[in-house]
Amino acid sequence: MKKKSIWKTICVSLLAVTMGAGLLAGCGSGTSAPAEDAADGTQAAGNDSHETTAAEGEKVFYFGDTTFNAENDESDVNPHNGYSGWACIRYGIGETLFKYSDAMEAEPWLATEYTNVDETTWEITLRDGVAFTSGRALDAQAVKECLDHLTEVHERAAGDLKIHEITADGQKLTIRTEVPVPALINYLAEPYGCIIDMEAGITDDGNVTGTGPYRATLVETDKGLTLVKNENYWDGMPHLDTIYVQTISDGDTMTMAMQSGELDGAYGLPYASLLLFESAPYTISSCETSRSFFGAMNYETEALQDAGVRRAIAGAIDKEGFTRVLMNGNGSPAVGPFPASFAYGDDTVTAQPFDPEASRALLAEAGWTDTDGDGYVDRNGQKLTLRWLTYPSRQELPLLAESAQATMKEIGIDLQVICTANHLDFIDSGDWDIYASAFVTAPTGDPEFFFTTHCLDASSKNRGNYHSDELETLEEQMSRTFDAEERAELATRMTQALLNDNSFVFASHLRMSMVSGEGVTGLVAHPCDYYEITADLDKN
Amino acid sequence: MTEKQKITIRKQKVVKDHTKRKMIIFGALAVGVVLTAVFAPYLVPYDPYEQDLGSALLPPGGAHLLGTDRYGRDMLSRVIMGSRSTVFSALLLVLVITGIGSTVGIICGFHGGKLDSFLMRLSDVFLAFPGMVFAIAVASVMRGGIMNAVVALACISWPKYARIARSQVLTIKSTPYMAAAKLSGSGTLQMIFKHIVPNIAGTVVVTAVLDIGTMIMEIAGLSFLGLGATPPTAEWGSMMSNGRSMLQTSPWVILAPGTTIFLTVMIFNLAGDTVRDILDPRQRGR
Repeated sequence: MKKKSIWKTICVSLLAVTMGAGLLAGCGSGTSAPAEDAADGTQAAGNDSHETTAAEGEKVFYFGDTTFNAENDESDVNPHNGYSGWACIRYGIGETLFKYSDAMEAEPWLATEYTNVDETTWEITLRDGVAFTSGRALDAQAVKECLDHLTEVHERAAGDLKIHEITADGQKLTIRTEVPVPALINYLAEPYGCIIDMEAGITDDGNVTGTGPYRATLVETDKGLTLVKNENYWDGMPHLDTIYVQTISDGDTMTMAMQSGELDGAYGLPYASLLLFESAPYTISSCETSRSFFGAMNYETEALQDAGVRRAIAGAIDKEGFTRVLMNGNGSPAVGPFPASFAYGDDTVTAQPFDPEASRALLAEAGWTDTDGDGYVDRNGQKLTLRWLTYPSRQELPLLAESAQATMKEIGIDLQVICTANHLDFIDSGDWDIYASAFVTAPTGDPEFFFTTHCLDASSKNRGNYHSDELETLEEQMSRTFDAEERAELATRMTQALLNDNSFVFASHLRMSMVSGEGVTGLVAHPCDYYEITADLDKN
Repeated sequence: MTEKQKITIRKQKVVKDHTKRKMIIFGALAVGVVLTAVFAPYLVPYDPYEQDLGSALLPPGGAHLLGTDRYGRDMLSRVIMGSRSTVFSALLLVLVITGIGSTVGIICGFHGGKLDSFLMRLSDVFLAFPGMVFAIAVASVMRGGIMNAVVALACISWPKYARIARSQVLTIKSTPYMAAAKLSGSGTLQMIFKHIVPNIAGTVVVTAVLDIGTMIMEIAGLSFLGLGATPPTAEWGSMMSNGRSMLQTSPWVILAPGTTIFLTVMIFNLAGDTVRDILDPRQRGR
């Protein structure tokens, strides 16, 4: 009997050890498995070629990205399709006539110079010796074909550029606009302005032929891209032979893929994970961007029509805490829509500061006091309950919502958070009071864009039906002003008008970070978030 | 027959029956968990919803026994408060599915005929899908929320009880005492409540108690996926989900609710096992 129980003990111990080992092994492979799942076939193919080509001395690079997917309106690399231009320019496939400098000023790229002949005529000289990966030389005719197609199929581009007519003569391109478009050159540097060869056309899977350092050989929506070196690139020989761009939508999965060495570089890692890559062999390249997180007030909501209530809300958002703690310092507290690095940025305007005490007083002034002692203010027996609508695909937004919920509670507002991927349905139905979103406020380095998209009567994203006579007048002036300094001055006045009305509350500007693995150089974050893979990217 | 053969020495040691002691221990633990949930608001050292960004992500120890989360909320308080949503909904869920499932099963088994076929085919439909996948689909159609998660899980879980109850009823129906009851003039309800229900109760209760752990897991699972409790509600699954990205940097944020789920599920499972041992001794040791 004794013997039997010893065997039993041994068996149980063995079973426990085996299970324990299995668990550990499971954890071990778990690190890499999700990345493989996410990248699917691409990853497998990538690894194979990695092994075979490494022997031949070819350089292969694995890049993880959270954004190349249909959900982001980046389903392929065709710049004339939605926001896919971002993929085209980010992954070094296409280039624009002008590009943004670190100070977000447009400077020549595929063009060498431009002259503004009159208010509606622009003459642009193109660079010599540039060719598409199809072999066709870049000339004014090619650019004309591309832009003609762009304005034909791309509503946003057509609305921005307002092109009346383009004429091509050798390397000289003349653009005539229907009305004065002071920011035309900035708009041409927008990702949709990537110049592609329309003779080579756009393939069914959304692939295009550009002039960039790499060309895509495989485009798989939601999965990734395979890029190969453009041997005839005009601005120096790219260093890498093949790049696999892998869409990994889950930040934690990407973190683990980066740690296990499956990726050489990554974009869009969660803030909490960045701490893991602060020391060698990893390097982090960060940059302040004009991507801002802000809430828009719904003017259809009765309580929010009261300026005092709006001001109280604006003063109840702990921007500092949100940025420093919840964003792990990866951003700066915002005043207005533009970061301080811009000439018309945060340093030039003022907003209601975070002050719960003052906010409570403002609510009391507006007649909202806590009469029933439940911790929430009320007026005429009605509790002040507001619906904060936001969406989860930007990791910061749910954090902002929960933070706002706590600080609003302090001043007696019951904030109900609706955080859903279907946020646009709620917008359509009007079932919201404050809509928090993320938006690149100055994608072209020019301030007008934010106001025309968000704050005017005609703006498509003016979701709260905000109206300001002052803003309309200033915008009317802005649309006729060509001088950059005057535009900056106008932008400052417009921002201040916006902040005085508290129709929008700006919480934070994002600091964007890209992580490079061992031996990687040339992966540098840029304020406009457009340039990721360039000819400088190398891995040793 | 020799003397030696006559005397049989019992060699096998009498295995001591620990069932009672086990029942007391695990029963007490399970009751303890439920009581914690009931008195959660009085047990928490801090307000589980009070944010203090200044003390965000503090490691366990000192003033915060289990550390704080990224909003500076006390993890211990949140774990204790979380027992309310998780354990209460699991208990509610088990109660609902046991009630509905057994009722359907008894009706089917007793009545038979077309109604039986119809209800059983209906339950087949629910059983045809993988449970959790179906629950996710139902919960996402209903747009999340802990009550909706309970409804979603109830939708997929009742057929099991209907099947168990029905098969038991069918067996009991053919016993002589049922025939005797019928002959002595018992009505339908009398037969059901006097003879059937007491006889199937044991099996159903055992299944239900054993299911509590599973249901806690599934509710926490749905919340983890964002289909159950919504922020800032303290709920173990959603707390784990929120701490997911901090597994490597601040592991306590995910370990605290994770370990709690593990312990609670284990307690309810062991308690369930013991209940089975008591109510159904034939199954003992299996």
